[in-house]
Amino acid sequence: MKSNTNCVLTLLGLGLIATLWSGCSDSTKTTGNAAKSDSAARTYTIGMSQCNLGEPWRVQMNEDIRNAAAKHANLKVVFKDAQNDTLKQRAHVEEFVSSKVDLLIISPKEAQPLTEPVARAMAAGIPVIVLDRRLLGDQYTCFIGADNKKIGKAAGEWIVKTLGGQGNVVELMGLQTSTPGQDRHSGFMEGIAGSNLKIIFSADMKWLEPDARKEMESALSRFDKIDLVYAHNDPGAHGAYLAAQAAGRTGIKFVGIDALPQEGVAYVSQGILNATFQYPTGGAEAIDTALKILHGETVPKEIVLGTRLFDKANVAQGGQELN
Amino acid sequence: MSEASTTKAPNPLLRFVSSPAGRAFLALLLVGLVGTIFNADGAFFKIGTHRDALRQASVYGILACGCTLVIITAGIDLAVGSVLALVAVCCSKMAIHWGWSGWLVVPACLLVGCATGGLAGVVTARLRVQPFIATLALMVLARGAAKYASGGMKVSTAVKNASGGYDYVDVPTLFRLVDTRILGGHLSVVTVIFLVCLGLAWLALARHSWGRHLYAIGGNEEAARLSGVSVVWAKILAYVASGLLAAVAGICQAAQEQQGDPEAGVGYELIAIAMVVIGGTSLMGGRGGMGLTLLGVLTIGYLDKILSINAVPEAGRLMLTGIIIVTAVLTQQRKRT
Amino acid sequence: MTAAPPVSTERVPLVRLTGITKRFGPVTVLHEVQLEVAAGEVHVLAGENGAGKSTLMKILAGIHTDFEGRIEYAGREARPRSPLEASALGVAVIHQELSLIGAMSVADNIFLGRMPTRNGFVCDARQHEEARHWVRQLGLELDVRRPVEQFPIAVQQLIEIAKALSQNARVLVMDEPTSALNAPEVETLFGLIRSLKERGCGIVYITHKMEEIERIADRITVLRDGEWIGTAPAQELPTAKFMQWMVGRDLGEQFPRRAPQPGAERLRLERFSVFPDGFAVRPMAKNISLEVRAGEILGIGGLQGSGASQLLLGLFGAYGNRARGRVWLDGKETHFTLPRTAINAGLVLLTNDRKATGLVLPLSIIANATLAGLRALTRAGWRNPTAERAAAERTTGRVKLRAASLELEVGALSGGNQQKVAIAKWLQTQPGVLLLDEPTRGIDVGAKREIYQLMDEWTAQGMAIILITSEMSELITLSDRIVVLHRGELTASFTRAQATPEAILAAAMGHATPSTPSQLS
Repeated sequence: MKSNTNCVLTLLGLGLIATLWSGCSDSTKTTGNAAKSDSAARTYTIGMSQCNLGEPWRVQMNEDIRNAAAKHANLKVVFKDAQNDTLKQRAHVEEFVSSKVDLLIISPKEAQPLTEPVARAMAAGIPVIVLDRRLLGDQYTCFIGADNKKIGKAAGEWIVKTLGGQGNVVELMGLQTSTPGQDRHSGFMEGIAGSNLKIIFSADMKWLEPDARKEMESALSRFDKIDLVYAHNDPGAHGAYLAAQAAGRTGIKFVGIDALPQEGVAYVSQGILNATFQYPTGGAEAIDTALKILHGETVPKEIVLGTRLFDKANVAQGGQELN
Repeated sequence: MSEASTTKAPNPLLRFVSSPAGRAFLALLLVGLVGTIFNADGAFFKIGTHRDALRQASVYGILACGCTLVIITAGIDLAVGSVLALVAVCCSKMAIHWGWSGWLVVPACLLVGCATGGLAGVVTARLRVQPFIATLALMVLARGAAKYASGGMKVSTAVKNASGGYDYVDVPTLFRLVDTRILGGHLSVVTVIFLVCLGLAWLALARHSWGRHLYAIGGNEEAARLSGVSVVWAKILAYVASGLLAAVAGICQAAQEQQGDPEAGVGYELIAIAMVVIGGTSLMGGRGGMGLTLLGVLTIGYLDKILSINAVPEAGRLMLTGIIIVTAVLTQQRKRT
Repeated sequence: MTAAPPVSTERVPLVRLTGITKRFGPVTVLHEVQLEVAAGEVHVLAGENGAGKSTLMKILAGIHTDFEGRIEYAGREARPRSPLEASALGVAVIHQELSLIGAMSVADNIFLGRMPTRNGFVCDARQHEEARHWVRQLGLELDVRRPVEQFPIAVQQLIEIAKALSQNARVLVMDEPTSALNAPEVETLFGLIRSLKERGCGIVYITHKMEEIERIADRITVLRDGEWIGTAPAQELPTAKFMQWMVGRDLGEQFPRRAPQPGAERLRLERFSVFPDGFAVRPMAKNISLEVRAGEILGIGGLQGSGASQLLLGLFGAYGNRARGRVWLDGKETHFTLPRTAINAGLVLLTNDRKATGLVLPLSIIANATLAGLRALTRAGWRNPTAERAAAERTTGRVKLRAASLELEVGALSGGNQQKVAIAKWLQTQPGVLLLDEPTRGIDVGAKREIYQLMDEWTAQGMAIILITSEMSELITLSDRIVVLHRGELTASFTRAQATPEAILAAAMGHATPSTPSQLS
């Protein structure tokens, strides 16, 4: 989902070398669980190819899968982290195929280069669940993902409702060269269409908190009346909050997206954010679907996950399902 | 020396303009002029804008101070961004999760910075690995250490408890103290920290024999050695100082984010190096100074701010920043007469 | 071949420069200078360092392009805008610092930038063949595929000349070509210059060495402080007048004579050896024993590769523990593994290459002059700029440094002044033993004389000096005693009265001469 691309001054071309270097370790983590009881049932091995563990959201996805799998004694999940390297992820898929896992879950980095390896896994008789990002064509068993556009729209509608249809809004966007950033923006625009909301300042904070704070400071020095900040992720909203606090500006509402337990949800509980919209990882759903496939049940080709709203009122109860 | 007695004394203004400091100053002036023209409905003239510009430049500036020391020895320190992240994580862990007092956290963090810097120094100066390679390795190593120490997650005020839920801790006093303002809200404390670091680094470089040794090593290492300079120690100390300053920057970063992000500081080393070079310090070593670095920090810091208040799209920002860096470095490279 | 054609004015010269004026900012470095080079002549360009010789040659070579005046190549006016254009006009410069690329092969260096290609690919075979051809022209037989850095400096210089010839150069500028050569190599070079003359090349020869001028000059042009002083055929310019042109004052005798009064022994070496690295079997200097007294100058003679420089470096601690043997300084046994400890004990070394190992060129005169003795000028490590300036003024005053300001970068100074700064640096440490390795290399006559006088003063004050010099006259006139090294071993030792150039040269070439009174092993 979020590619934490570091858009830095590419002076000297050092960055390139640095990324090459930082990507040359291969960590393979295995989570086995003691399947001592239930020896009658067959033990299944699931391969999980994660494209990158540099983002908390993906760490959470693995965590969700791990937790869900832990409830089933006959499931063993092998995790591999491609560290944002398409070719490495491709190699991981091939390794899973040759080690004959029973099912493959992949959260691909890119569609084009990974479509074919996945198709080959299917041809080898391994069912594949694609998580979060899509592949080309239909050579997979099931796609599970959330819809950024829908989430952006839900956020927009909630903001219109909360502000009573008018006010000055600052939009801190995720990397605008990434699809989630674009979708969260266009969905939001759809959500606020027809209202009198004014977007007075919008800037690309590249999903980064320090950048969000920086941009928010600029917005604060330009505009005396800001009613609400809509940030495309929770750290962005948090950075904006810190900027407003440092400037001594009150009465600004902050809305974020993602709602990870230790980030967005925590911020809402602490009263930092007014609302956050969950971007589900689909980890738990992936394990449920995997079990169904392994037991021979048919599953839908595509499962679109809903979102949850967390605000002051419902955060203690675990949020509210939106659809 | 052939002395030309007939020529008139050169215009002092002209002489200033042709010095490295003068050229760096011109670049800053140019950026200031751009800000005055594209002032974003007067936002550029508000005190708050300048305070914020200085605050944003401070973390980079602290790193640039360390980089200046290293670059003057004809070395380079690519690890500062990663060390910043490592220290930010350690600092948050100690201050938030373990609840240590600031009196304990700050020295411990500085120690971490010194240790990483010392490692880079020993590998480059004693084991004679090229600084580029040595600090590149350390950059990767420190990033890994930051991820390991943080468990891959941001170390924030939401602390996981035994039952799998989250407890919320107050932001530590240390963080509040660092991320605050003084002088009626007109000056950020991090800016003060930056200026103090700059001042101390200036003292060391311009007024201590160690600083003189750094210049000598950068200008001609063999001549320095044969003149009795302890080349190895002076170089190790330069990297230690760079690590120490990266640690200071890491504490500031953690305080400003109110958390320790293992992904923080990616690419900061390049910004810091760009600031040093724009100031006019030579990557070949032996030439430069802290005053020049201050000018470089201000130039890039203000450029960034001006682009931000004008809400220039990302693509334009990158291109403009690149053009400014190249132009500034080109003016610096004009032949000395 | 016929004898060299007589220098005639009616023939069109290969190159004629007239009214050349060049300014660097406010400083005029050349003013209305003229020079002409005819085919088949060696035209010596002389002048003290800083007189403008190098600048003039850089204009001729197309390196400096903004100047006033007129250049004619074979009668046609042209202004080379780059070294490439100048070489197309037939001018090649062999710089004092060779411009070869050490790691590349001889052939690659000769054809650098214009290698013979076929379809964009370098034709190695053809390139090697042609390179061999040009190298053979100089009477050299070597493997053109080997990297240049594997050859001695003298051969590298010849390679550079081969490169110039391969570019069809008619005018060759040689900037102090013998500064790194030993006596037989100089002979080879002079032979080559003669044959170049016969081919009709014109040679501009820059040198500081009187004996060379006497031997090869056809015509002499003297510059002083950027002004053209005069041009005359060599036979018509007596030495005294030439000296007067050079320095603008009567030099009197070339070297001051000194009356040595040796005192107590200051330094003694016994079976001292220096190894190139920890594993080498053959030391660079082997089992050297010698001693030098207070107020005495001990000269070390030897050809290139004699190991004399390495001996001094090893003694100074620059080779760490790769120098072995026993050393006594002022009667106390000691051993230096770091230059710093040697400096603190009062033993200092002026290295033979001031740019590479002596000075920090980007730093100011003050910073360089106080670099070695900085500790004495600091309090708890904190520097005191006023004290440094005072110290630098004192020491640079003692060496009679002439500079517009002590804040100047050392890199901007002329060779002689740079050397004076390097010497001033060591005076600041108040040494008891001074090791001087080629102290007058590449500096002008006036500065040389001043350095001789300084050595005289220092010994009068009780300093002990060990001197390495490749100039025989300097070695014989200055030294109170002389030892000679050959391939790392001490082969002879002479008192001043015994020393003759022939005997020293014989010992340096490894011939034992019966006249040598004390043969050492």
